[in-house]
Amino acid sequence: MTPMSGPIISAHSLVKSFPSGDGRIEVLRGVDLEVAPGESVSIRGESGSGKSTLLNLFAALDAPDSGEIAWDGSPTLSPRRRSALLGIVFQSFYLVPELDARANVLMPSRIAGRVDREARARADELLAKVGLGGRLHHLPNQLSGGERQRVALARALMNRPKLILADEPTGNLDEHTGETVMNLLLSLCAETSTALVLVTHNEGHAARTDRQVRLHDGRFVPVA
Amino acid sequence: MPWYLYLAIRQLFPSGRKFPFFTAISVLSVALGVALLVVVLGVMGGFGSQIRKMIVDTQGDVQVRSSSFIVHPHKVLAEIEKVPGVAAATPFAEGVVMIENHNKPAYPSIEGIDVNRIEKVIPLRKYIRAGSLDDLDDDSTILSYELADSIGAHLGSHIEVYTPLILEKLKRDEIILPRVLKVVGILEIGHQQLDSSVMICTLRTMQDLYGLGNAVHGINIRLDPGVDADAAAARLNSTFPADSGLQARSWYQINKDFLWVLQLEKNMMLFILLFVVLVAAFLTMSLLLVLVLKKTREIGLLAALGAERREVALCFCLQGVAVGVVGTVVGLGLGFTLLHFRNDAVELLTRFTGSQQVLERFYQFSQLPAHSDPRDIVIIVVSAMVLSTLAGLVPALIASRMKPVDALRSE
Repeated sequence: MTPMSGPIISAHSLVKSFPSGDGRIEVLRGVDLEVAPGESVSIRGESGSGKSTLLNLFAALDAPDSGEIAWDGSPTLSPRRRSALLGIVFQSFYLVPELDARANVLMPSRIAGRVDREARARADELLAKVGLGGRLHHLPNQLSGGERQRVALARALMNRPKLILADEPTGNLDEHTGETVMNLLLSLCAETSTALVLVTHNEGHAARTDRQVRLHDGRFVPVA
Repeated sequence: MPWYLYLAIRQLFPSGRKFPFFTAISVLSVALGVALLVVVLGVMGGFGSQIRKMIVDTQGDVQVRSSSFIVHPHKVLAEIEKVPGVAAATPFAEGVVMIENHNKPAYPSIEGIDVNRIEKVIPLRKYIRAGSLDDLDDDSTILSYELADSIGAHLGSHIEVYTPLILEKLKRDEIILPRVLKVVGILEIGHQQLDSSVMICTLRTMQDLYGLGNAVHGINIRLDPGVDADAAAARLNSTFPADSGLQARSWYQINKDFLWVLQLEKNMMLFILLFVVLVAAFLTMSLLLVLVLKKTREIGLLAALGAERREVALCFCLQGVAVGVVGTVVGLGLGFTLLHFRNDAVELLTRFTGSQQVLERFYQFSQLPAHSDPRDIVIIVVSAMVLSTLAGLVPALIASRMKPVDALRSE
């Protein structure tokens, strides 16, 4: 068992490169990061600086060339454990188009094999919290961009994860809607003591997190 | 319900959409293939079954013939009827004659029957369309209906019958007048070849016409229900003296080559038509492949939400299975419905094309027969299910091999 006081995620000396032409381009060149339970950390950086790559490594959707990651003290993350430990919010929402808002929110719970009255009640509660209590049965194509992202946010929180990974969650939204979504994300994480790793271009959003880091040339550099 | 089954169903039948085109096209293609197989094999089976029934109806279950003639038929009949499993037996004599009515000639097969015994072996009465079997005596005949039409004969007509015996006597300068027989019945068996060339008279008349004396050409035997014809034929052969020249053969042995050809034809048809289901499976596969490509990001998302690779594969494979199950059920329903209304459909078709007589001439039957062998149905169902599952398997494997991060990055 892992101690509750340890970091929810810890990464050491992460290196990741991708094939490019005849050679390889190194995107991450030794990244270290630890996120404590309930802590919010923002990662900023230019396009192509490796922010999303780092987030994919944190989500165990990709593997580093070298370096170590531990999730809640364990160096491995099975798909089922990922579902329990992590909630992921993407820039492009990625809702299942055939499912209504409630079914989309229930999806992580369904994949974990727990769809009961309690899970449905939680999905309804989360949708109500993100302001979509009246749109439970709307399909994604019947929702606006902001509403879709709010559904994705509720989905990320469905399994009561310990860490939310958010990859530019307001990138596809206008400023006002983006602000609303960000408010919800930060308040819900704070309310549920869920740690947050937020990848963003937005300085204002980054400033609202407990800690800010900046990726430059594949390494973390001090925030000016 | 596991999530992959839930999502497979929701992707096949999305909520909020009135008509799922992808599903409908896939299901319809499998259904059409299955329906086609059911109809074609049903009709082929019908032809085969009708022919078998007709053979048994007109020849009995077992036929005894001699290397020449059966000179003492009553003695042989008595021996046959002692054999266990034999329900009844009737002697017959057969040949070919020339008949004439108002200068219209025809050359039918003639069969002499024992009117007292025939009905215990051959259900002749049910084939009489006009007149009566009871009126058949030594001066009368029953004609098949197309034969009667061809010479313009009807009930009460008197036709002249010329036999090879007359020709033999003419060679010896004897003048023999043709035998005149009154038409007392018209026969319709339902098989074009028989309906255009069969003439029936009493055994005594036939023996006179061919100069057979008391001899007959063979004896038809009806067995008790459930008695195996081959086994009964073997039992009969064991009772005949070795030098009698008598041989019993089951209806199956007599028509073995013909029945083999029928079966071969049906099997070939099954094999060829399975390609229709194969094409339908390829259509389902290509539609599922399009779906996989369209849903690449979703596949990445499912992985991000905690789905295992094999579960993602199952999600798509189950869609192929579901298309197979629904398509097979719809196809069976459609196929059996078409089979039920086959004669109406054929009648409608031939009414438009004016080809009813052509159909009867070439396909031998006045009604389109149908008989669905449960084994054929099992083969159809299993084939459709296996091919549809395989059709779902290829896209499923492609989906499961996608790296989540690549799937999420895809455009």
